[in-house]
Amino acid sequence: MRFCEWLEHTALITAITNSLVMSTIVEVLHYFSLFLLVGSILIVDLRLLGLAARRRNAAEVADEMFSLMWAGLVLNFATGFLLFAGDATTFYGNRVFHVKLAVILLAVIFGGIVQWGAGRWGRLPAIPIGAKLLAFVSLALWIASILAAVEVPSLTSVG
Amino acid sequence: MNRLLLQFCEWLQHTQWAMDLSGSTWAYPYVQLTHFAGLSLWLGTSVAVDLRLLGAGRKRQAFAEISEGLLVWNWIGFAIAFAGGFMLFATAAPEFIVNSAFRLKVGVLLPLALVLHIAIQYKARAWDQAAHTPLAARIAGLAEILFWLAIAAAAASITYFEHL
Repeated sequence: MRFCEWLEHTALITAITNSLVMSTIVEVLHYFSLFLLVGSILIVDLRLLGLAARRRNAAEVADEMFSLMWAGLVLNFATGFLLFAGDATTFYGNRVFHVKLAVILLAVIFGGIVQWGAGRWGRLPAIPIGAKLLAFVSLALWIASILAAVEVPSLTSVG
Repeated sequence: MNRLLLQFCEWLQHTQWAMDLSGSTWAYPYVQLTHFAGLSLWLGTSVAVDLRLLGAGRKRQAFAEISEGLLVWNWIGFAIAFAGGFMLFATAAPEFIVNSAFRLKVGVLLPLALVLHIAIQYKARAWDQAAHTPLAARIAGLAEILFWLAIAAAAASITYFEHL
C-alpha cells in the first residue's frame, strides 16, 4: 500500500496523470496493444483448432504471429502498469481488478504454452487432441481477459 | 439529410432491444467484449500484414500468403467488431451522432482506413512478385497502422466531447 502511494506520486506518473494528451496516448496504446496481443493469439488458437488458415501449416502461422504477440504483450504490460500507477491506491484494493490480473496471468501461461507448442505440433501429421484442448483453453481465457478488463470500470466505476 | 439521420438515431435508441441494453448493468460489458474481441481479430490480422509490408518480423513468408491465409478471420473480426460497435452506438445514438470525435472516427477515418485496407489486400499479390517490396507497399503498411491508431485515439476522445 505504501508502495502504491509512493508510485502514484512519482514525477513520471503525476506528469502523465495531469496531462490529458499523455494519459490519452497511454490509454490508446493500452487498447491497441491489447488488440494486437489477443488477435495474434486467437489466430494461432483457431489454427490449431482447425478453424483458421487450414491450408497453412500451424507452425508457420504461429511463426508469423510471434513478433506481434510479444510486441503486443510488452506494450500492453508497460502501458497497463502506467495506468495502474496513476490510480494505484484505488486499484490496489479493487476485487474485480484482482480477478482481472489472475485471469490475465492464466491466459499468458496458456497462450505461451500454445505458442511454444505450435512449432512442434505443426510438424506432426495431425494436430494432437491435447493441443486442441490447450488451444481452446487459451482462446477462452483470452476472451475472459477482455471481459474481466471491461468489468473493472463497469462493476466498480474505477479506471 | 441531417434531420433524417437524427430521426433514425432517435428511433434506434428507442427500439426495445436498445433500451433493454442500456437499461441493463450486466449486458453492456458483454457488448463491449464483442466489440473488442472483433477488433482483436481484425487488427491482429491486419497489422500482421502491415508489419510484414514494412519489413518487420521474421521474413520467412510472403505477405500475400499471410494476407490470404488470414483473410477469412480478418473479415469475420470486422463483422463482429461492427455488430458490437453498432449495438454500443444504438444505446445512445442521438448523442453519438452529434459528437465531433465520433463523427471524425466513423464518418472520416473509418471509411478511409477501409479503402486503404482493401487496396492492400487487392495489391498484395502484385507487390509480392516484385524483387523488392515497392515503396508504395511500405507507405501503405505504415499508413494503415497510423490510421487505426488515429481511430483508437478518436474513440478514446469521444468522452471528452460529451455534451458539447
